[in-house]
Amino acid sequence: MLENKIVTLDERRKHIQRKEGEILLPVICNSDSLAGAVSQRACVYSGARVVLNPITDALHLVHGPIGCASYTWDIRGSMTSGATLYKNSFSTDMKEINVVFGGEKKLANALRELVMKYHPPAVFVYSTCIVGIIGDDLRAVCNASSKELNIPVIPVLSEGFRGNKRMGYKAACHAIFELIGTRVHTPQKPAINLLGEYNVAGDLWNIKPYFEEMGIDIIVSMTGDSCVEDIRKAHTAHLNLVQCSGSMTYLAKMLEEKYGIPYLKASFFGTNDMSKALMTTAKFFNDPLMVQKAEEIIKRETARTAPLIEYYRSRVSGRRAAIYMGGAAKAVSLVKAFRELGMDVVIIGTQTGKKDDYEEIGCLVNNGTVIIDDANPLELRELLTRQKANLLVSGVKERFLSYKLGIPFCDFNHDRTITFEGFDGMVNFAHEIDTTINSPVWKLHVMRTGGLINVEELCNS
Amino acid sequence: MSKNYATVNPCTMCMPLGSVMAFRGIENTMPFFHGSQGCSTYMRLHLAHHFREPIDIASSALSENGAVYGGGANLKQGLRNVIKGYDPRIIGIATTCIAETIGEDIPQLIKEFRQEYPGHSDIILIPVSTPSFKHSHEEGYNETLRAVVQTLAKKDQPSDRFNLIVAAIVSPEDVRYLKQMLDDCAWSNILLPDTSETFDAPVVDEPPKIPVGGTRIEDIKDTANSKETVTIGSCSTIIGAGEYLDCKFNIPNIVLPLPIGLEYSDIFVSKIEMITGTALSRKYELERGRLLDAMIDSHKYVAHVKTAIFGNTDIVIGVTKLLTELGMQPEVIATGSDNQVFEKAARKLAPDAVVLCNTDFSGIHSEIKKKEIELMIGPFTGRQISKAEHIPLVRLGFPNHDRMGASRQLILGYEGAMRLTDTITNTILENK
Repeated sequence: MLENKIVTLDERRKHIQRKEGEILLPVICNSDSLAGAVSQRACVYSGARVVLNPITDALHLVHGPIGCASYTWDIRGSMTSGATLYKNSFSTDMKEINVVFGGEKKLANALRELVMKYHPPAVFVYSTCIVGIIGDDLRAVCNASSKELNIPVIPVLSEGFRGNKRMGYKAACHAIFELIGTRVHTPQKPAINLLGEYNVAGDLWNIKPYFEEMGIDIIVSMTGDSCVEDIRKAHTAHLNLVQCSGSMTYLAKMLEEKYGIPYLKASFFGTNDMSKALMTTAKFFNDPLMVQKAEEIIKRETARTAPLIEYYRSRVSGRRAAIYMGGAAKAVSLVKAFRELGMDVVIIGTQTGKKDDYEEIGCLVNNGTVIIDDANPLELRELLTRQKANLLVSGVKERFLSYKLGIPFCDFNHDRTITFEGFDGMVNFAHEIDTTINSPVWKLHVMRTGGLINVEELCNS
Repeated sequence: MSKNYATVNPCTMCMPLGSVMAFRGIENTMPFFHGSQGCSTYMRLHLAHHFREPIDIASSALSENGAVYGGGANLKQGLRNVIKGYDPRIIGIATTCIAETIGEDIPQLIKEFRQEYPGHSDIILIPVSTPSFKHSHEEGYNETLRAVVQTLAKKDQPSDRFNLIVAAIVSPEDVRYLKQMLDDCAWSNILLPDTSETFDAPVVDEPPKIPVGGTRIEDIKDTANSKETVTIGSCSTIIGAGEYLDCKFNIPNIVLPLPIGLEYSDIFVSKIEMITGTALSRKYELERGRLLDAMIDSHKYVAHVKTAIFGNTDIVIGVTKLLTELGMQPEVIATGSDNQVFEKAARKLAPDAVVLCNTDFSGIHSEIKKKEIELMIGPFTGRQISKAEHIPLVRLGFPNHDRMGASRQLILGYEGAMRLTDTITNTILENK
């Protein structure tokens, strides 16, 4: 078994498994990160911030010292078709004096000052580690400000130390839930919400037209390219499609419970998953015309993009991919997308996957694939080398590790500037994989070859 | 200027980040945060974006239990795991807000660690107090350099070397330039910290877990025996490594501005010539001559161009100096740090300019509008203003996430001033 082979800390071994035959030992997951292991995970605040920050016209105020706001200023590539307030970074910049005497007053003053200046339709106030320690009553300040300023001022209970990133998702879901249902609205046609769609690089705009073509109204995409007003109406949807399940299933369940809105898991990445998402939605509404429309779209778009994808497939098939993502939903989608490209997945891991996520992954991947939870750089580098990966799909922190190991890399995280969702997104993805895997830079020798170089040959090659 | 309650678009970062930038310049050192997991991950991300290097920072990953009952157990477990995983000679332990607020006594915890794990007695542990709510990343950087010499410097035989403390965050290329100059002129020295290789590592067959390079530990020990210290970077408001060595070991410490521009570079070179008794080599005399030539070539194109300079204190001061030498017009001079030394220096250099301390980008933005600025110089965090006001931005210093080559940006010395002069002039010409 792999656990005997990989060089890592004892406590980490049970987080790493290789699929061998039918039996897959459970991967230990969803626990606190191990001290000193250099986890790739961030904190509760980070989880809340990534989920909420794409709400374009809200004012996102970080109650804490400056660092937490500095490192999260406009870092997510979520695009907007309207407001740009979310591209600013607001902080109470707590100083020693606030730590000693409490930060409530400063927070209340900051809220007043900012709302007067920017007139947002709602404010999210994020708590950071220190707020939890000194015991500022965030909710009380927010409630008082909300009354005084006459807009929703919503506390996001996201003290960094209170758990992992997943706790932050939950805190964000609670914050969004406070907004939902505060507007009267009656949809004129079949209406859905997208949950866990963040419009990174403009993904949403690739898929929205298909739903519209099917006669479906997207009330709000949470939270990519969303605005407060639309979120307030989200309770009127007939269906929620949950893409990033790690971050948003919790909200979907709350909406189901309170407003009776059913939810379905969906993915808009990869030709197959995209087609499936359209068809499942059409079938949900039980309308033959809509189903027919979905079939038409799928046929048309597949015919249009298949030859392009086939071209890239011919250039990348047979290569070995490694996946290390924040959430499990994207990781699962990626396995399927790589299958469309004829590539094998040899490593797959997530920061925040749960037991059932890993079971799903375990069923999906081939024998020999290594599954890893909450990986660290040392484990990743060893696995990438041993599993002979030709590509890593991950985020910025992992990018440069990959490059240093001479392994092509694809950013599937916040930094992405190319859309990967929808039919066109899959073409972009295939193009990106081809571009990095087949770049000549990887063929250059790491060490200068010894001896005399045949200059003539080099010049004529 | 009255400070608002809220900060809008920060022009500064937090103390632990600065500690990593210092620790990373020490041989075989692993930075470690005593705090929650997020601090380490966010700063790894921030640094990776800028340097385009893998950045590993360990964390004690404090959870709710740790916050309530103390994080000693996490700290000790974390240290052991880092030793197992990375095999460092030094672990640099920086505190975070949470550790400081719950009152963690790091020296005591280290003492306990020593008693409980005598097998790790060869590992050097350097604690430094860096609460984000106290100062900015710049003070975090200098606190750390002091902690490093405080832990390591030992009195021994007097040496013929001098210490060169880089008391401001500069690029790996800047450090490479300094090292080359010191080497070319045979100026025997100890340079601290040396990030030239560690923040800009080559691709090799088997990349090491901790990047190769950094100031040698033996050399840092020997800083107590040097004949003099030259500290470059004069804006620090805290007791730095140079001052410590002066107080503790009677090594005279002379503080100079960062050698940016012609005259500050001259001051730097002259001082070292005096200490070493060896003249600057011809290579650099030629370089100086070419710089002056370049400045003369450019002076008409850049004359009176209204400029806003912002970012880290010492770089802003140095660049402002160069601009005044070129006949440009520094109109807004700003930093996010709360720093009186900076304020005074900036006012002296450009008496007619608006000087902003402890400011944010919303403060900088409104001054830029008022002053009808034509050129912006500073980190990429000014990009939104640049775009909104259609003012060209020369990206300079830290952080720079959206352009290549931050690690290879040279601004120090004659060569640096030459490149900067060319870049500034060309940017103005292109936007004419």
